[in-house]
Amino acid sequence: MNTATRERLFGYDHAFDHPVTRVIVVAIVAVLVIVPAVIFALSIMGRIGDTQRAELKKRYISWLVLIPLMVGPVLLGAAWTIAAVAVLSLLCYREYARATGLFREKSISLVVVVGILAITFAVADNWYHLFAAISPLTVGGMAAIAIFADEPKGYIQRVGLGVLGFMLFGSGLGHLGGLANDANFRPLVLLLLLAVELNDVFAYIAGKSVGRRKLAPNTSPNKTIGGALGALVLTTILVAAGSHFVFRDTVLDRPSHLATLGVLVSVLGQLGDLMLSSVKRDLGIKDLGVTIPGHGGLLDRFDSLILVAPGVFHYVNYFLGVGLDEPTRIITGT
Amino acid sequence: MEDWKLKPARDLGLPLGQRLRSVRRESGLIEGLAHRAWWVVLRSYLGLYHRLTISGIAHVPDRPPFVLVANHSSHLDAMVLAASMNRRLRDHVFPIAAGDTFFETPLLTAFAAYVLNALPLWRRNCGPHALAELRQRLVGEPCAFILFPEGTRSRDGCIAAFKPGLGMIVADTAVPVVPCYLAGAFESLPADRRWPHWHKITLSIGEPLVFESAKNDRAGWLEIARTTEAAVRRLGGETA
Repeated sequence: MNTATRERLFGYDHAFDHPVTRVIVVAIVAVLVIVPAVIFALSIMGRIGDTQRAELKKRYISWLVLIPLMVGPVLLGAAWTIAAVAVLSLLCYREYARATGLFREKSISLVVVVGILAITFAVADNWYHLFAAISPLTVGGMAAIAIFADEPKGYIQRVGLGVLGFMLFGSGLGHLGGLANDANFRPLVLLLLLAVELNDVFAYIAGKSVGRRKLAPNTSPNKTIGGALGALVLTTILVAAGSHFVFRDTVLDRPSHLATLGVLVSVLGQLGDLMLSSVKRDLGIKDLGVTIPGHGGLLDRFDSLILVAPGVFHYVNYFLGVGLDEPTRIITGT
Repeated sequence: MEDWKLKPARDLGLPLGQRLRSVRRESGLIEGLAHRAWWVVLRSYLGLYHRLTISGIAHVPDRPPFVLVANHSSHLDAMVLAASMNRRLRDHVFPIAAGDTFFETPLLTAFAAYVLNALPLWRRNCGPHALAELRQRLVGEPCAFILFPEGTRSRDGCIAAFKPGLGMIVADTAVPVVPCYLAGAFESLPADRRWPHWHKITLSIGEPLVFESAKNDRAGWLEIARTTEAAVRRLGGETA
């Protein structure tokens, strides 16, 4: 392992090297400082009732815990980012498995967990060929191990649920860890996390002000076309502007490419949200868990990232290559 | 192809502490691994230290649901019964443990749930509701209970009268009740000792009893308790 790699993995003193990182962190801290004052002011002015205030407070406190857990690992280094993504993948899979009943199939669950750990290893190793190999191998592993129960009834359902779970939370979210193999990962990952979360907020605000027609009433009755378009515009502006500084002087630094990246983040973020709504509707449950007070399960919070991560990874990879300028096979190489 | 049957965990949406104390609790991968590890440890310990011998294992049904009942004089009892079950049944066997002993402190609760796979029954308010929940689980999904109808550990090694709660769980169902008799557990670890003596333990398993025709009322429950108690006593060599 050379010095540059070690610095990328563990060099927390480089946390604030990039201006975009500094701007994002300062903005988040500022918002976290202002929000309690706003809640307080709104309740003094009588604009919100006690129950609403209690609900907002609960959500705010949850964010106060969540944000350091999301931003902290990215600032600390790539190794921490990859580890945090692995934990997120495992916890999301757990919620999914308990909600769908897949957790009763211990052998399939075990293969998914091993697959997630293997993906994490491949990412930490910066060995893309292994990363690519793990998905078909894990899917094959599930299809094979499910035979041993000698119970063909429900075989397709069991394996199908396992494959969906692994592809979304193991492979899909694994791409977020994959982004940490880029030398300049901090501003990009932080920008994505910020944009995906704000995408939800934009959709909510735009929906409240201009939303009339329902987007997908059967899937998610509160979402409107106005909200979706509003989020699309606002998130695209945010991502395009932010990524202009992240990808300065590269082939990606062209208005059309940057705007496409923004559209990708917004559209895939909203689709991820709707995807999880579909899963919940299909199961007939409201929240996937009780992990985060005021938000529901972890998946209710991180659903939007699931499709964004592979989308953005491969978009950037197509133009610039992710982690190509970094040494590969850090652990397995000689 | 059949329609997919998606069945969320019964304990979905419960916070961790409540989940571990819930009789609706279902094990996941981590609990499953912990149960298996504990099973290996138990079997080795009981085999080496107590030279456990089991007779009549063929009486245990191949598939759940069923209820194992035995005389109760030691904390080892539930472990002997749990360890006697084969590997396939392991995740489906739930010792019914006193809530006020095993589910009071967080650490013990975690141990009881993650390792022992125990379900709680609070003796203070062991009302019809708690028993009805257990009954519902027993008929609703393939699971097996380990139950001590005396309600508490015998302080002198003699069998006390069986309580009718067992009847409330199995009356009017096709769930077999398997009577078991444990010898040597009292001498190994009586209620007033902390650490077990070296002493041989034998487990005798009798033929299953089915109470499908028993009425689900007080008279039926008492009858079930009496019949089961007699079966356990017979296994212990007592003549009724």
